[in-house]
Amino acid sequence: MYNNMGPQPGMPMHQGIPQPGMPMHPAIPQPSPSEYVQSNISRYFSDPQYYFQVNDQYVRNKLKIVLFPFLHRGHWTRISEPVGGRLSYKPPIYDINAPDLYIPLMAFGTYVVLAGLSLGLYGKFSPEALNWLFVKGMVGWFLQVMLLKISLLSLGSGEAPLLDIVAYAGYTFTGLCLAVLGKIIWGYSYYVLIPWTCLCTGVFLVKTMKRVLFAEARSYDSSRHHYLLIFVALAQFPLLIWLGNISVNWLF
Amino acid sequence: MTKEFAVPPVDFAGGSTAGANFQQRRVPTAPFQPPRPSSVSSSIPFMSFDAASAAASTPAGPFGGTIASSSSFGGGGYASFEDEEPLLDELGIRPDQIWKKTRSILNPFRINKTVHKDSDLSGPIFLYLALCLFQLLAGKIQFGVILGWVVVSSIFLYIVFNMLAGRNGNLNLHTCTSLVGYSLLPVVMLSAVSLFVPQGAGPVRFVIAAAFVLWATRACSNLVVSLADGGEEHRGLISYACFLIYTLFTLLVIF
Repeated sequence: MYNNMGPQPGMPMHQGIPQPGMPMHPAIPQPSPSEYVQSNISRYFSDPQYYFQVNDQYVRNKLKIVLFPFLHRGHWTRISEPVGGRLSYKPPIYDINAPDLYIPLMAFGTYVVLAGLSLGLYGKFSPEALNWLFVKGMVGWFLQVMLLKISLLSLGSGEAPLLDIVAYAGYTFTGLCLAVLGKIIWGYSYYVLIPWTCLCTGVFLVKTMKRVLFAEARSYDSSRHHYLLIFVALAQFPLLIWLGNISVNWLF
Repeated sequence: MTKEFAVPPVDFAGGSTAGANFQQRRVPTAPFQPPRPSSVSSSIPFMSFDAASAAASTPAGPFGGTIASSSSFGGGGYASFEDEEPLLDELGIRPDQIWKKTRSILNPFRINKTVHKDSDLSGPIFLYLALCLFQLLAGKIQFGVILGWVVVSSIFLYIVFNMLAGRNGNLNLHTCTSLVGYSLLPVVMLSAVSLFVPQGAGPVRFVIAAAFVLWATRACSNLVVSLADGGEEHRGLISYACFLIYTLFTLLVIF
């Protein structure tokens, strides 16, 4: 009960009275609060620096893949390399299939700017309307992330890093920008571009999710896999039509 | 030619003849004192409104002025009115530097990065007020909106640049805000010009606006890349981010 390894072994130990300054038990190292927070955050967010290692050529090729996924001749798996004993994926400069956060961020910004432009051309521009468009875009991004995350969770694999899912969800904004740009240039092209965008985003997400599931899923249940992937592809249609419908009233 | 500082002699513990010679060579003087203009030593620090001493002390220039104030502080009195720093100097606003920096943005093809090396926020505030003034003349009260957008867009550019540059990116937020603010000059000029262009949203407005946006983008991205490390190989990516920022401000102006 009392510390036998006190600093003064020669001193008589008083029975029943705890010595001041001596611990009651061998000290257990407690993590400091900042370390605790840091380790918990890094469990949910992988290092964001990885997603910004891009260059011009990667951006161009990735845009081609996202906008025309049918024409991609190569494979869709990410290249992995052993780093420090653990298997990690190569950064985006070396691997065209790796997700990045630069393109989604820029595509989101372009969507907001183009939507503001299209509002202005119909005479309904105001800064508050632009703020609501920003909120609408954020909600759309969040819904897309939820869709992907839930479909991953329901197949039992919740281990894909959150920023990966955020990046995959953000790629839909590139096609959306194309649709809004088409609407600005010629009104009727919108009715061609929106189904095209939905289809392309659906194909891209299905192919990507298939690889993610293959890498991460613990149980391989073929029919559930396929139904969920088809659901992900079909859910793109209402989501993108909602996001592409630029009006002052942000809800619909 | 080397400066002769009057330093008190060092007494070595040896005390040899060489030490004595050493001591003799240096004249022991009082601790270091800056040279004073004679007029200040003649004026009494307590009385300050003597016209003769004022006329004599002001030609000494800012150096003499600051030394006079510090010496009068050291003398135990309070600083006189004309010994205080000028107000603009005390606030850190330097109009000649603001003018030089603003003029360097006027030519987007030749980047003068030395002028922008020490960043300040007073020029951007002045440009922001000018933009708000021209918007006000166009009938739009957007003071808060423009200020909020400047803050958000400089944070956005700061994040994008430092993430892209990786380990050796060293753009700090003050410099970033300063550069984004100074590069608003073309947008300010656009809002002044668009007061005179007819209101209908014809292609003329868009073409003029596009030219000004490209000017602002080029200026901002060149300055950002040349002033901070790690941006050279990501020039195109950073200039696209700047392009988005200035298109946003231009939307406010043309609609």
